[in-house]
Amino acid sequence: MKFSSVLWIAVAVFGAFALATVALHRGEQVDALWLVTAAVCSYAVGYRFYSKFIATRVLALDPQRATPAERLENGRDFVPTNKWVVFGHHFAAIAGPGPLVGPVLAAQFGYLPGTLWILVGAVFGGCVQDFVILLFSVRRDGKSLTEMAKEEIGRVGGFVAYASVISILVILLAVCALIVVNALKQSPWGTFTIAMTIPIAFLMGIYLRRIRPGRVLETSIIGFGLVLLAIWGGQWVSQTPAVASYFTMTAPALAIAIIIYGFAASALPVWLLLAPRDYLSTFVKLGTIGLLAIGILFMHPTLHMPALTRFTDGTGPVFAGKLFPFAFITIACGAISGFHSLISSGTTPKLIRRETEIRLVGYGAMLCESLVAIMATIAACVLDPGTYFAINSPAGIAGQLPEKAAATITGWGFPVTAGSMHALAQNVGELTLFNRTGGAPAFAVGMAHIFSNSLGGEAVMALWYHFALMFEALFILTVLDAGTRVGRFMLQDALGHAWKPLGRTSWYPSVFATSGLIVALWGYFLWQGVRDPLGGINSLWPLFGIANQLLAAVALCVATTIIIKMHRAKYALVTLGPLSWLVTVTFIASWHKILDPDPRLGFLAQARQLAATGGNARLIFNNRLDAVVAGLLVVMVALILLESARQWIGILRGSRMSATKETPFVLTQFAEERG
Amino acid sequence: MRLFRLIRAVLREIFDEAAYERFRNRTGVEAERDSYSQFLREREQIKNVKCC
Repeated sequence: MKFSSVLWIAVAVFGAFALATVALHRGEQVDALWLVTAAVCSYAVGYRFYSKFIATRVLALDPQRATPAERLENGRDFVPTNKWVVFGHHFAAIAGPGPLVGPVLAAQFGYLPGTLWILVGAVFGGCVQDFVILLFSVRRDGKSLTEMAKEEIGRVGGFVAYASVISILVILLAVCALIVVNALKQSPWGTFTIAMTIPIAFLMGIYLRRIRPGRVLETSIIGFGLVLLAIWGGQWVSQTPAVASYFTMTAPALAIAIIIYGFAASALPVWLLLAPRDYLSTFVKLGTIGLLAIGILFMHPTLHMPALTRFTDGTGPVFAGKLFPFAFITIACGAISGFHSLISSGTTPKLIRRETEIRLVGYGAMLCESLVAIMATIAACVLDPGTYFAINSPAGIAGQLPEKAAATITGWGFPVTAGSMHALAQNVGELTLFNRTGGAPAFAVGMAHIFSNSLGGEAVMALWYHFALMFEALFILTVLDAGTRVGRFMLQDALGHAWKPLGRTSWYPSVFATSGLIVALWGYFLWQGVRDPLGGINSLWPLFGIANQLLAAVALCVATTIIIKMHRAKYALVTLGPLSWLVTVTFIASWHKILDPDPRLGFLAQARQLAATGGNARLIFNNRLDAVVAGLLVVMVALILLESARQWIGILRGSRMSATKETPFVLTQFAEERG
Repeated sequence: MRLFRLIRAVLREIFDEAAYERFRNRTGVEAERDSYSQFLREREQIKNVKCC
């Protein structure tokens, strides 16, 4: 037997052992390193064998075929680039707040369901989606998902893909903004730090444009230094009542501030705010993810959350709904995320130098994203469960007063006291940690817990906590900036067909109108979340999960259609498998969210309950609106699914043409290189 | 050393420094305010999606 075979058998056995340790331990605390080991071994085996099978048998990656980066090289967006550089670029684009927030919320079921879904979902679903969409875009001159859907499935496919992207953008931006609001409300330290990132971004923009043109890394390091100063200064602000009062904001006030900020970021010149913030956020993001990995490896903290909690039955306070299907829509980005298909068919395909490198970039970068989600699970599960639920339970469920909330949570079987929560809040420099829903504060406390154990102890826990909070809020707001702008571009693209000037991205009336429209759309959902007595996350995060997974279903419909057109129908299960799973999960979740008779779960049931008890008319309308949005998303995906199935059956029966829209083969000049 | 060069190349690509250099090579301009402004105007048109 060859050495490599022995090695891979050892990796598989070790991974299986780690997975069994994680899965079978009951009543004992588990070392977080077992989770990391199980994940790394699963990824290694998945990459070595499954992605290779897809690359050779299903997609038949061709080392002789020139990519659009080579054929259409223009030094602007089509640029043949080193595979590791593209890998880093792609990872930086796909890694956002999703893999951090989703696993933290799903930890209400225990650490096991989320971990298993992250591993299985990534290896068989998310990585496959990113990989195949990236290849199909490369073989079509870097076309976008919506263009491919239109060409390969038909006009219905194109329309549904477009509408899905706009819907997911709106809901995503609303939920992102809500996470920031919940993380910063009544937190003068956090609000000050994040507020300071705006003038810091202005300074960076001016420095980059006027003083040291093009020196982005240098500018980002300076910006990072200023952000650290802002975190340090935030402590003084929070301890100085006269100043703190300016930065102690309610949720509605923060929501209004973020809405105004979103509009400004979309309409202002990119160089002034959006680009420098993006650089700063990427710098902090890459550094902090690396730091967290090192922290977990060296500290190997113990998980205090049980493998499974009683809330698998659907009565959880963080969000309503049973483990199936809600764990699978709550964790999206760490397992499979439709949004990634936009990046795999956006800038990345235009940088790929050789087809054979797509496996590393598409499949490999998603594995890294999945590892980030595992780290987020660890950060949430190192907390005492009582603390975790005290932070993540809305006041409407746990109770308004600390003593009441602590008694409710203790009654669930997760002991916590108002005194211990007060002490923890003081340690991290907050007024209170009760009712801080949204996942970001719980993640920040978990991360501060891991870091402070290795560096500085409790004395610097507040600094670590605010560093973690700043890191999350900073790149959530970057998603908000970039997302609002992309939404604006998409609207302008569409409106430009009706009246040309509306399509001009530099015509200010159009810029203001479309920016305003996009901000109004997500701002409405944000406002709804802020006013929701159940904390907003309960309704908006599942809606976001459904939208994101349905977009993944659209991407997998496109991929399956192309695989069948390539006469590789016998391998179509590679994409049809995850597609079937996603459709099942999202359709059942949508059914529950719309029609479930439990008012905590079903939008319509909640509207009925509010109507019966003389509740607020706006809340009743919002619940009905959420039901309509979820219903529309399902109808749209059902349409594209039916249209795709018609194509598949037609091609397999021979009654339809199976020609794909691939660009013709051109021999690469890199053919002699090993690849 | 190779690893360091690779990390530097990745960071230069992520932070658009490599793109600016390509822009200067393509247009034959020096690194200065005006050329950077032109570069930024060109980059503005690229729909840079960031994931959630």
